[in-house]
Amino acid sequence: MEYLASDKIGIVDLGTGEIAEEELDDDLVLEKIGGAGITKALYDRFADEDPIVLGTGLLTGSLVPGSALGVITARSPLTGKVSHVPLNLDAGIELKYSGFDYIVIKGASDKPVYLWVHDGIADLNDADDLWGKDTWAATDDIRDLMGDDLIQILGIGEAGEKGAELAQICINYWQSGDRFGFGTLFGKKKLKLVAIRGMGLLEIAEPEDFVEDCAGLLSAVRSGSNIGKKGIAAVAATLGEEDIEDWLKPLTHKQMACFNTPVPTNTFVFLDEDPARLEETPVQEPGFLLTDIHPLLIFKKMGMGAADACSALKACAKYGIDAAAVAELSEKGNLSTLEAIQNALPDLKGAASSSGDTVFSQWAGIGNPEKDEWLRRQAVAYIFGIHPVFIRMAPELTEEKLLDLASLGTDLELTAETLDEVVADIIKE
Amino acid sequence: MGLKIDALTCTACMACELACGYHRDDAFALLSSCIMPYRAKERQNYVGVMLKEEDSLIAARPEGLEINRIGEEQDPDKEADASAKPMLLREACDLCEDIDEGPLCIRFCPVNAISME
Repeated sequence: MEYLASDKIGIVDLGTGEIAEEELDDDLVLEKIGGAGITKALYDRFADEDPIVLGTGLLTGSLVPGSALGVITARSPLTGKVSHVPLNLDAGIELKYSGFDYIVIKGASDKPVYLWVHDGIADLNDADDLWGKDTWAATDDIRDLMGDDLIQILGIGEAGEKGAELAQICINYWQSGDRFGFGTLFGKKKLKLVAIRGMGLLEIAEPEDFVEDCAGLLSAVRSGSNIGKKGIAAVAATLGEEDIEDWLKPLTHKQMACFNTPVPTNTFVFLDEDPARLEETPVQEPGFLLTDIHPLLIFKKMGMGAADACSALKACAKYGIDAAAVAELSEKGNLSTLEAIQNALPDLKGAASSSGDTVFSQWAGIGNPEKDEWLRRQAVAYIFGIHPVFIRMAPELTEEKLLDLASLGTDLELTAETLDEVVADIIKE
Repeated sequence: MGLKIDALTCTACMACELACGYHRDDAFALLSSCIMPYRAKERQNYVGVMLKEEDSLIAARPEGLEINRIGEEQDPDKEADASAKPMLLREACDLCEDIDEGPLCIRFCPVNAISME
């Protein structure tokens, strides 16, 4: 695969410690396009070895608006389905430029390890010193060790290490869209984290035409009615949820975007610093990046203040547990204070609806979208690598347009019929 | 004439950085860009934008603009981040002089944080 790809699949065997490499064959792209289409195919190929597959979309990390998305595909211990977790923020782009298009992690290690992916190299390393640390400390340790603060960490905290069923793979210090208990899978494999840095280069088959089309698409998107919404609350309100912007406003420091996503869908709140502060703060942990609206909505409904609700999310991220499930179970269990929720984290169990009933994370399912239409739209987002919240806000990103761009960028003839087949394959479980 | 950057409007999406990298390499890459959002202070959420010009390294910080003349002695008390890319080694901004529509970073910034002045 010559264009928009690194042409490499890594196959990591945690049981033996061996790492193999394969080329990304054009035929696989012609058949499965990319993103969840190929992670699902790789999952099926290695299904007997309990794989977790990381990958990026065909358009991830490009100038296509919203091209932030990577994906983790595995069988959810919560739903039993082969499911897809979104990799947003900068995790998708760093994976795209890491020198690997896809990474299969199979088997299990008998001792704690971490996987370091960079410059087309994947290394397994001893994680004895990281095991037992929360996601924040582990992220700091790896970045300090490598001397690079831009390394992206897909890691687990204590929840995953202990096999908690609601354990989440976090992205750096923050909550991810893992509503499927994939953190439990990392823990069972003794995989503390995957560290990723992308400094590669992606060739484009028809660069001038591709970039010109991207500029035209961005222009069309910017003419849409949803552009101009900023932050987690405004985006959620636009998509039909309760508007909690005023509730968060006293804490709001800045609205933050995922890679090349025109609508900033995240909000950074300051909990131990003046939110209006412009200079760099000396406070080491001034606040938290809000990436998931659902737990906030529940905590607010329970009567919690915004500061306590955000602090509860921070505690969940450090512990490495799905905050949406925690919020739901807290509501059911009448745990309505920050202290009660924090104290309950190690023993929290029970069925939560946050994992949903489809193969895509409910994380992006804001405002109760129409089910069948939304299922297909998500599949398209996960195949091409488009931010799933943004794609709902940008109808200008049509399937036809994304196929055209993918064909232009790769010099492969990708058809609507192929897309239909790949979508059907992904969503059938 | 040069670029004007509003760090308070910037959402750190990196579209400018990728567009600039494309201008340099005719491919998608980040390492040759002369403009980049500063995202090394993730826990503190301290975000600005760095720009390499012919004679200066511009740091558009939330609290204001900092212009460092290349070659002049810097404040020895300021500690550089380990992850800071070697911006000084990169080509200076040429305002995409070969592109009729003007600088690609302006064209691809989705929130109008970059303009000409």
